[in-house]
Parts: sequence; structure tokens; C-alpha cells
Amino acid sequence: MPPFGKSPRGPKPGGDGEEEFNLEQMEKETEEMLKLRYLNRDNAQFERTKGGFVSLRVGEEFYPRVHVIRMFPFSDPTKYISIRTPDEHSKEIGVVEDMKQVSKETAEMLTEQLNLRYFTPIIQKIINIKDEYGYAYFDVVTDRGACRFTINIGSHSVVHLSETRILISDIDENRFEIPDVTVLSAKELKMLDLFL
Amino acid sequence: MEKVKLPKSVRAALEAQGVSSEAVLRASAADMNTSCEYADGYVVLTADTLCLLTSPPNPGRVRSFKGYGTKSDADAELPQEWAVKLLPLTEVQNLKIERQVACGLLIANDGDCLAAFSNLHIKNMHRLVRAFDRLKNPQPDFMQEEEDEEEEYCPKCGTMYPDKNRKICPKCMDRSTIFMRVLRYFRPYAGKMAVMLLCFFGIAGMNLVWPYLNGTVLYDHVLKKDTAFLERIGIHDAGFVTALLLIVLAMFFARLSIQLLSILQGVFTAQIVTSVVRDLKKDIFKAMGRLSISFYKSRQTGSLMTRVLSDAERVTGFFIDGAPYILIHTFTLISTLTVMFSIRWELALVSCILLPVSVVVGFKLRPYFWRLFGRSHRAERAVNSQVNDNLTGARVVKAFGQEKRELSRFHTNNARMMDAELSIVKFDNKFTFLYHTTQELTGFVVWFIGAAMVLRGTNFELGVLITFAGYVGQLSGPMNFFSHVFHWWSNSLNSAQRMFEILDSIPEIQESENPVPMPEPKGDIMLDHVTFGYEVNKPVLKNISLHIREGEMLGIVGRSGAGKTTLVNLISRMYDPQEGSIHLDGVNVRDLAFHDLRRNVAMVSQETYIFMGTVEQNIAYANPKASKAEIIRAAVLASAHDFILRMPDGYDTIIGSAGRELSGGERQRISIARAILANPKILILDEATASVDTETEKAIQASINYLIKGRTTISIAHRLSTLRDADRLVVIDNGEITEEGTQQELTALHGTYYKLMELQTKALALKGIE
Repeated sequence: MPPFGKSPRGPKPGGDGEEEFNLEQMEKETEEMLKLRYLNRDNAQFERTKGGFVSLRVGEEFYPRVHVIRMFPFSDPTKYISIRTPDEHSKEIGVVEDMKQVSKETAEMLTEQLNLRYFTPIIQKIINIKDEYGYAYFDVVTDRGACRFTINIGSHSVVHLSETRILISDIDENRFEIPDVTVLSAKELKMLDLFL
Repeated sequence: MEKVKLPKSVRAALEAQGVSSEAVLRASAADMNTSCEYADGYVVLTADTLCLLTSPPNPGRVRSFKGYGTKSDADAELPQEWAVKLLPLTEVQNLKIERQVACGLLIANDGDCLAAFSNLHIKNMHRLVRAFDRLKNPQPDFMQEEEDEEEEYCPKCGTMYPDKNRKICPKCMDRSTIFMRVLRYFRPYAGKMAVMLLCFFGIAGMNLVWPYLNGTVLYDHVLKKDTAFLERIGIHDAGFVTALLLIVLAMFFARLSIQLLSILQGVFTAQIVTSVVRDLKKDIFKAMGRLSISFYKSRQTGSLMTRVLSDAERVTGFFIDGAPYILIHTFTLISTLTVMFSIRWELALVSCILLPVSVVVGFKLRPYFWRLFGRSHRAERAVNSQVNDNLTGARVVKAFGQEKRELSRFHTNNARMMDAELSIVKFDNKFTFLYHTTQELTGFVVWFIGAAMVLRGTNFELGVLITFAGYVGQLSGPMNFFSHVFHWWSNSLNSAQRMFEILDSIPEIQESENPVPMPEPKGDIMLDHVTFGYEVNKPVLKNISLHIREGEMLGIVGRSGAGKTTLVNLISRMYDPQEGSIHLDGVNVRDLAFHDLRRNVAMVSQETYIFMGTVEQNIAYANPKASKAEIIRAAVLASAHDFILRMPDGYDTIIGSAGRELSGGERQRISIARAILANPKILILDEATASVDTETEKAIQASINYLIKGRTTISIAHRLSTLRDADRLVVIDNGEITEEGTQQELTALHGTYYKLMELQTKALALKGIE
């Protein structure tokens, strides 16, 4: 059953009360919803907005601002990028299957949006890790500068994305990543050992 | 007086732009720019302006996130120069925070990014946005001036509390308090503890005597026929055979008493450990029951619970196998060394020289051990979780014919576990070899020098040498122990800390201290401007006012996620509303005793839960004293009677996780029967008939119609036919009541309800039903 009330794409015409019930239209909308629309350099124009986001024109439709989301943020960050409406009931407008299928400029501006959305400093060096009473205090150097943060050891704050790649979330859920633990020095590994 | 504390440089920059710091209503720091770099910034709100302060990125500055460092650390190193941008509020229609995966953006007018910040500042930023909303949209009723930021820093050392709700500073927390708190659990077993300690000392004492008997006495006195010695112990006439017999007997009894004491000590240890673990777990379970639903919903619960339960064992283990031994081994070490030095200090010194080496070797190698053990634990967990996964998912594995792949997956994990175990053994062998070599070497050196001394006849007897060697051997135990006890100690206290965390957590929903008694409520429910969200800044229910009269049946309709279930959860006080209040018969539910409230509110929800036990026990869950006749009647009313009797063991059939599997509809009927038997004044049906077929629903509908007589009923349903008998309906959309009235009124309104109804009738018509 399709969700009632709101049409799946774009703003709906008229207010809630005036809209006549139309089964055919709803079925059409449902069908539309079931289709995966691929966006590429031929059918979609992305542009930077003044406010720092990205707008999209696809065919007749124009979206003054879109959300750019990775379907596989860890395993395939440059493929399957979902372009969605920015409202609360975010709906998919289309999918960029591969960043290679859009122009270089578009790929750049989409990547900017993605970088902000998935902001995760990369830990390059571990200076110290101290664990005390269920919390661990990290003192590290990241690609964004030196950071000190605290994690709750009891919760799932250290996630193994693969054998060698780990994602650390601090108590506010700020994220930090170690892309490859094997490049760490023996001393750093020793400090990190509790979480490996 | 200024209300908001701002760093000096920020104040100066604002004043340079003509914004006085007295005018500031709210301010929040921001720590990023939109190019994903850390850069300091500030967002400041006054009655007519939004001020944005920015500074260039400064990668050299150390960023301290929550829980690390102090407030003054965080404020130090702030830039002195700020670029200021003033935005008149007339140009800002709305202000929103959009949460990203791991940071936040402040967005104005639905598309202008004003600031980016890490989650550290997200709370404060939300406060600013709320203050902005109040400015734009003054609501006199709800103009609650927000409380100032709670103190989040430890007053003693200035460290940020990792968890604001539990004001315990990990740095200032006294380790000895935790130690004492754990000790308190041992107090009831003080007598047994004393016996256990006596056994320990007895064993230690006997161990001290043993080398003396077996060396000095046997060799130097008895075998050397030392008559003077025999005279001293009362054997005259040089009865050496008697003496030998005596010494053998003494040695035998020494050994025997060591064994007996060990057994005794073992028995007492086992008793104490199990009792203390039981007590600790009981306390944890009690604390768990007391905690609010929100605690269980928080992300860390599951793992925390299992950890805490194993923590109980770890803590107790240390206190039994570790703590007393600190005493014992210190005693053994000092007394043995004293005896050794008093026998021959030169030789004692020699035997001590290599001891530090073995301690250091042991200490140095320990981290490797930890890593290897950690790897083996992880491998074991992987194997366990896969077995668990496959057992629960057996049906899917079979259905998709993936047994082979699962087997190879298992093989990989299993092989990894074997490797891990093997490397531990390998390493352990190396370690043991090294450790023992040092030990043996010490022994050899002592023997060599001792023998040389015996040969040179410098007043040094063979027996003394044997005694001495015995003492050297006894040193290795305590040495080995002290090389790892400190790590053990801190680990066990960490475990203890985690346990106390649960024991100390304060439930969010607290029972009133002087509850208003309400044995027989009428069932009149009043929601007064209720706003609630699971996260503070995301209201699920927005300003809801609703009056449900005594005996009325109210139907709630709305799409998934509209807040229907949340609304009924508030009535039974699983959560407290953030704003507004809920009254039962005119009394705020916060003032009622849990017992009175929950006895009178029964819920049949979409999540049915069957406890392990018989059908009878499950139905009688809320009313264990119910008679068999009452239970049967409830089951009949819930249309459960027939299917129960179709099971071979009838009402005595064991159901639940270990018992017979029930279908979704059957489970639901059991839970309806449970609610019927509870005989509440207020009945909440949350999709109670969602997983039964239409025919069964009709049957249940009839029983519900019977059930709701004389009760206030709130029924949530997607299937509108379920709500046919409702006196009144409300439509909830997006956390707000959008439509309210009788079925006819709502149909006439041609709104959401009408649409939903049309859709459902047409869908049914398409299928040829009704």
C-alpha cells in the first residue's frame, strides 16, 4: 500500500482537504516510486547553490536543493549515490550509479556534499590511549589536526569495517577512522590493542 | 548583566560591530567549515540579529571533544581575530539544524548553510535554534525560558563528565571507594572469609616449615646423628631410627595439613565466590527492573548487560583469587627472604640477583599475551556468533540452499580460532621456557655456590643448602604473581566500575515520593499540550491536547511513524512528556504510584511477548492469583480457547522461547487474553489484531466489544474496519492531531481519514471482499 496523503514526488497540488481521492493517480505514483531512475551527465544538471548546497534539474523537474547520500558509504563510496529531496520524508529523485557517469565538475560538487555529510577525520597517528572506568581517552593526530576524544567502551563505539579498517565513534558520535591498522607502529597497535 | 558567557575575543569582535554582550540571548560555538576543516566559529543570537563569527582553519590547534580535557582547555587557543557577519532576523525566515552522519549544519531559509559543527556543539546549537523559534513565534503558554546549560564539568578537576546524567568524574573517582564498595559485598561472609584467610596463612606457614624439615632437620640433624639436637627434642639414647620415623611423620603431617588446608580453603572460596556473584547479579537484575524503558532503548544496553554479568564474575574472581594472595604472597615473600637472609645472606643475595630478570621478562611479555588472548577471544566469538546465526537462521540457510557456503564460512572462522590457539601455545611455550630457565639458572647458581661452600666446609651443611634451595623455589610463586597482579587489579576495578554504573543509574521515570492513592480510577484521560520526543530535539508528538472520557472508545489512525504508539506509551508512563502533562481522573500521572497506574492500564501491543512457561502462566501473567475458570473465560473471550485445546497439552503446553512455537495471531490472542484477565480500567489496543486473519479478527472484535464495556479504550489500527465501533476517532499526522470526530464527521471532512477509507474499501473491492 502506498503511503497516503502525500504524493511521492514533488510538492502536491492543493491542500490536504481539497485533494480528491484518485486511485489511478496513486497507482501511477506507486509505480513511479518503484522505478530506480539513474542520473547521468545527459539527463541531469547539478549546480552549486548560493547557500552552499547543490540543486538539480532533471527533465521538467527542478529541485532547488537536494540531499546527496551514499548507498554504500564504506564499501563503495563513489558508486550508487542517491539524490534525494531534502524534506523530512526524504524521497529518492534518482541515483548516480557511478561518479564517472557525471561530468568532472558535477562529481566534484557531489563529492564536496558527501565529504561534509560523512565527515570523518582519518587517524594518522596515535599519541596515547588511556582506558579508565569504562571510558577510553584517545589522543590522536588526524588528517584534520590533533584531536582528543572520549569513547564509551561498553557501547559499540569501535566498529570493525573490515579486518584492518576500524571506525571509532566518540560519546557525541563524532566519527574517526583508521583505514588500515596494519600501517600503525607496534607501539600504536599496543595502545589500540584493547579495541582490536 | 550578560546572560551568556562568551570568550573575551568573541565579545570584543561583537562589540566592534555594535553588538553589546548584554543583548546576546544564546550563543553556540561551531568548530568546522563547509570544506570539512576544523575551524573555530561562533553563532550568536540577539533579539534582532544573528551574528556569525568565523575564523580561518587552524590545523595546529588540538581539538578536545566531550569528556577530554577541561573547559579552560577548550577555550584556550581560541583565535583572537574573528570575521563577523551580521544577519538581521528579518532576513531569516527559519533556522534549522540538519544532522549529517557525524556532524551538523545550521541552515537558514531552507538552503543557506550558515555554520558547520561537530556533534560536540549540536546540543547547544539546538538551544539556539529553539531560542530563535521562540523569538519568531512567541507562544505565551509555552514561553518557558530554558534552563541554563547544566554543569557538565567536574568541579574538582575541571574534566568534562563523559555522561552528563551521571555526574561522576572518572578522574576524581577514588579507586579505593570502588574497592571498598566491592568489599561490602563480602561482608555477610566475613566468618567464612576469616576461615579462608586462616587457611591461607596456615598453608604459607607450613610451606615455610617444609624446607626446614626436609633439609636442615633431615640431613643435618637426623642423618648426621646430631645427638645434641635429639636431646633437645626429647629423644634420648640416640634413637636415630625413632628420630627418622618422627621426622618422616612430621613431614607427612606437614604435607597432609597443607593439602587439607588447601581443600578447606578451596571449599570456602567456592562458597564465597558463588554467593557474592549471586548477590551482585541479583542487585544488577533489580536495578535493571527499576530502570525506564528509555534505558533499554539506548544503544549500549545489550552489550552492557552481558558484559556486566560476566563482569560480576571477574570482579569476584579477583577479590578471591587476587586480593587475598596479595597479602599471602607479600607475607610469603618477606618471611622467606628473611629466613633466607638469616641463614646465609651471601647466598640469599645470589638467589635474589636473577629474580628481577624473571619478573621483568614476565612483565615485558605480558602485552603480547594480552594480544594473543584477545585474538583468540575474537576468533572464538566469531565462531560462536556464526553458530548462533546459523541455528536461528537455519530455515533461511536451508531455503536458499546455502549449507555449503555456510560450512566454508564456518571453516574459515574455525581455522582462525585454531591458529589463534596455536599461537598462544607456541608463545606460552617460549615464555615458560624463558621463565623457567631463569628460575632454574638461579637454582643452579645457588646449588653451585652452596655446594662450593659445603665443600670448603665454611660452616655450611648440606641440609642447610637443601633447605635454602627449597626457599628459592618458593620465591618463584609470589614473584610470578606480582608480575601480573597490577594489571589484573585495574581490570577488575574497571569491571566493578561498569557494574556500579548500572547499579547507580537513576531511572528517568521516577515514582512520586508521596503518590496520590487511586485504587479505583474511573478512566478519564486528559492530555494537556503534550510535547514529546525520544531525542530532545526531535519531537514525535507536538503540542497534543486530547480528552478521552470515561468509558469511551477512541480510535487513533495515522501513518506509520506518526506517533500513535508513542502517545499510548506516555499514558502508561513508559516515558514522561517533555512539555505538558497527562491526567488520569484529574490527577497528573506523575503523582500516581506505578502500581496504581499500571494495574489499571493494560496494553495489547503489536509487539507480543510470550514468556517461557505454560499457556496458563502466560495468560495469568498480570494476575497470577486468577482461578482456572477465570483463565479459561479470558481465553474464550480472546478467541484463544480453541487453538489452545488443539495443542496436545492444552493449557499446560509450554510456550515461549524454549517451548512450542506459536503463530503471530496465536501470540496476539494470548496477549489479549492476558489483558482481559488483568481487568484494567483503561485498555490500550495497539494494532492488537494486526496479525490475525479477517475471520479471527471478527471473532476477536466481538470479544473486544464485550471487553470494552465499562472501560476506557484506546485503539490504534491501520485497518479501519477494526475501529468500526469507536465512539470517536483522531487522525495523527506528523505528531499532531489533524482530524478529530466521529466516523461520519471525518468522512464528511474529505480529509486523510476519508482518503484512507476509500483506499481500503477500493482495495477490498478489487479483491472481491466485502
